[in-house]
Amino acid sequence: MKNPLLTTRRDFLRTTLLGGALSWTVPSFVAQTFSALHAEADGALTQTPTGTDGPILVLIQLAGGNDGLNAIVPYTNDFYYQARPTIAIPSGQVLTLNDTLGLNPAMTGFKSLFDAGQLSVVNGVGYPNPNRSHFRATEIWQTASDEDKYLSDGWLGRYFDNACQGCDPTVGINIGPRLPQAFSSHTPTGITLENPDSYRFIGTGKNDDETVAYRSMYAQQDDPLASSSANSGASVSMVSGTVMLQNGQSALDFLERTSMDAQVSSDKIREITSKTPSTSQYPRTALARNLQLVARLIAGGLPTRVFYVSQGGYDTHTGQRYGQDARLRELSEAVKAFTDDLTSMREFDRVMIMTFSEFGRRVHENGSQGTDHGAAAPMFLVGRHLKPGLLGAEPSLAPADLQDGDIKFNTDFRSVYASILQDWLKTNPVPILGRPFPTLPVVT
Amino acid sequence: MLESLPASQWNAATAAHLLNRAGFGGSPREIENIRQMGLAKAVSWLVDYEKIPDETPAPDWAHPDPEVDARHEAIRKAADPETRRMLQEQENQEQNSQMADLRYWWVRRMALGPRPFQEKMTLFWHGHFATSYEKVRMPYFLWLQNETLRRHATGNFDDLLIAASEDPAMLLYLDGARSRKGNPNENFAREVMELFTLGEGHYTEQDIQQAAKAYTGWGLSEDHLHYQYHPYNHDDGPKTIFGQTGNLTGEEVLKLICAKPECAQFIARKIWRFFAQDQPSQPVVDALVDEFHGHNMDIKHLMKVIFLAKEFYAPDVIRSQIKSPVQWLIASTHQLQAPLPTQPMSLVMLRGLGEELFNPPNVKGWDGGIAWITTNNLLDRYNYAAALVEGDRVPLPGLKGQMKSLMNAMAEDGLMVIAPADVRSLFSTMELSDPMNFLAALQARFLNAELRPQRAASLADFLKSRSPLEDADIRKAIRLVMCTPEYQLT
Repeated sequence: MKNPLLTTRRDFLRTTLLGGALSWTVPSFVAQTFSALHAEADGALTQTPTGTDGPILVLIQLAGGNDGLNAIVPYTNDFYYQARPTIAIPSGQVLTLNDTLGLNPAMTGFKSLFDAGQLSVVNGVGYPNPNRSHFRATEIWQTASDEDKYLSDGWLGRYFDNACQGCDPTVGINIGPRLPQAFSSHTPTGITLENPDSYRFIGTGKNDDETVAYRSMYAQQDDPLASSSANSGASVSMVSGTVMLQNGQSALDFLERTSMDAQVSSDKIREITSKTPSTSQYPRTALARNLQLVARLIAGGLPTRVFYVSQGGYDTHTGQRYGQDARLRELSEAVKAFTDDLTSMREFDRVMIMTFSEFGRRVHENGSQGTDHGAAAPMFLVGRHLKPGLLGAEPSLAPADLQDGDIKFNTDFRSVYASILQDWLKTNPVPILGRPFPTLPVVT
Repeated sequence: MLESLPASQWNAATAAHLLNRAGFGGSPREIENIRQMGLAKAVSWLVDYEKIPDETPAPDWAHPDPEVDARHEAIRKAADPETRRMLQEQENQEQNSQMADLRYWWVRRMALGPRPFQEKMTLFWHGHFATSYEKVRMPYFLWLQNETLRRHATGNFDDLLIAASEDPAMLLYLDGARSRKGNPNENFAREVMELFTLGEGHYTEQDIQQAAKAYTGWGLSEDHLHYQYHPYNHDDGPKTIFGQTGNLTGEEVLKLICAKPECAQFIARKIWRFFAQDQPSQPVVDALVDEFHGHNMDIKHLMKVIFLAKEFYAPDVIRSQIKSPVQWLIASTHQLQAPLPTQPMSLVMLRGLGEELFNPPNVKGWDGGIAWITTNNLLDRYNYAAALVEGDRVPLPGLKGQMKSLMNAMAEDGLMVIAPADVRSLFSTMELSDPMNFLAALQARFLNAELRPQRAASLADFLKSRSPLEDADIRKAIRLVMCTPEYQLT
């Protein structure tokens, strides 16, 4: 400890009684109090990045492996048409972006964003020795690991750990049923939310004694000093369910922490959604509904830095034209409605949208009008502060340039992450990604 | 070699643990029943289930439907888009209602059937050989696969693997039915090695491409009603897999895979993780692999070894797991000695909590462990707990939308969607006489453990303020116990 002032009763309790378990067993805002105490004692209050007007990243996962070639179509490339006799998109149908590339015809929303200078496409994104398993490849993208390294924490989780210590739990919000591995962090941060109306403890009966008791089961820990004294620190480890899982957490610690984050965040989200009804028109798809909720939460002033939504259905081994086109239409229409909504709420300036998928697909179609798992593919970025247009070299489709029938990458996906972390979220990407990656001039 | 649990350690806690893990939990009376059997008999009662008749009838629609092709043809050839939409809608409704029926049929069988362990094992294989209605679309095939998994649940792993692989649901889910000589589809070939048998790192991309050729020819019959082998689609040329070359068939490739030591390792480890603990210790896994490999991949033998082993009852195994939604629902009804909620309610709960049967999140099945829990579905567990305890006597304001309209529809038909639990009968007069006695009884029945001090104190305060306890207070107290982190463990 740098400052002798830190040797107070509070610090003593924190470090000796609660020890490492602190981050697991107290809600984030309590930990935040501690950070503030530390910072005060240090004489320099560090600005946590949880302001309500800071930059926001909206990450959209395209699950299943989005075929890059039928999304950003190389419509003058003979190799493309030779490799895909039944599923290639005829050159006359593409929504042209330049002399060689055009969008899938289903993506009219993205075309209008492109024309407005609000869409950029990073071509040929991947990593060395690409993995073609959905799970492993997804894990690589979510953890930003090398192909032969296994990390348990996600790249956004490490961002939370590095840049958001003591932040409100709502610094990261996943809309959907499962927490993505990208959010997995040493200190669990971030919440998962599906329907804001039922995101709360619902008391039964006429009086609210049940709710009062429920709150008190967790509320005692509003003051960790009080509760740690009451527990004398000793009995905690005597309760079953305290077997360590990973990161020094037990299942019970994890559940306790999640319960408290749920209680704290549910109050806040209910307050926000009740005062910010959405008036904009969105398509009637799950992705659009989720982005609409994101827009409401942004407008309501949550201190969230990262929203995560996902869309499935890209694993097009069969009947790709039917399946992928429909998914891309949903994506394009939902994102367009979302940006329109953000624009009307004057919030678009601080939002960046980024898509990713675990891999692209094989250049040659298979025998079932589909494509098998492949490698490099484009990423989409949408925002008002980016360099619009096409970034990164367009990969060659010449058979001699392919690797096991797949497209070689030109841009490492971690370069895109590094650019977003450094130039958009304004944080040092090196501790998060483990080493420096060249950044792209994508944020302006 | 694993040691057997000493008889001195066979007690209410270890018996409860066995019933939780090998089955779906039980009431104190059910736990006492197996405790009295003794460990060996209790394990045999669970695992040697063939001795217990199970006459659960198949759902009445669960048979090949010779009209299905004609109906699909009629939809394709509909005279106008409006008719096509209408026909498609009819077909979807019929299928969705069969799926709801199938899901509830299985949940009931898990909760009330005579062979809880067979159902638990089938549930394990359902997550292992995951297929989804989202892609398969044919409820009959999903039922058929469920029966295949149940039939082979504790048999020989090689036989189970071949049966599951040639099952129509799998052929549709991983595109095997569309894989042809000269243009093989690699989807199944990859997943069978990565997810069903070996795990990543124990095969090459070339093994996948070569194995894909061997599986060509497996498909469905002309009428799309059952499995059929099509020799003219099969690539009978040489393939090189794991360095061995030959004109291998699909079955032969699967047997080669099963013979690799990594397969016994992968399966034994996954079974231990599912039934015992999320973070297995390597010596235990090694001992299990020896047993499994040494007994010709006999699943029943492996399961008996596990349930008899001292390690299975270790303090870091008991109550170390987070309940799956299915476990949460069924074990709760056993502890409450309440009937299983009716079909719509049960299915809404399981879907809401993230375990909709026949619809795993992806081909990897459900991750389990802490992946069951998010802030969102933890709050859902807390709210659904109120529904289990209170029934529809008390309106639940947050349960809107689908749940609400279902409840209303059933109420109009004079049906109770869910009956309130008869809570007073669960406790003795003695237990109800004093708040601290009652708190102890609550923890014994619902946790087999104690709450952390701050929650125990909150609950004690609540109970003291309500003395003497009305039925409504008992229900609220039970619900509050179910709204704790401790209750989510098993």
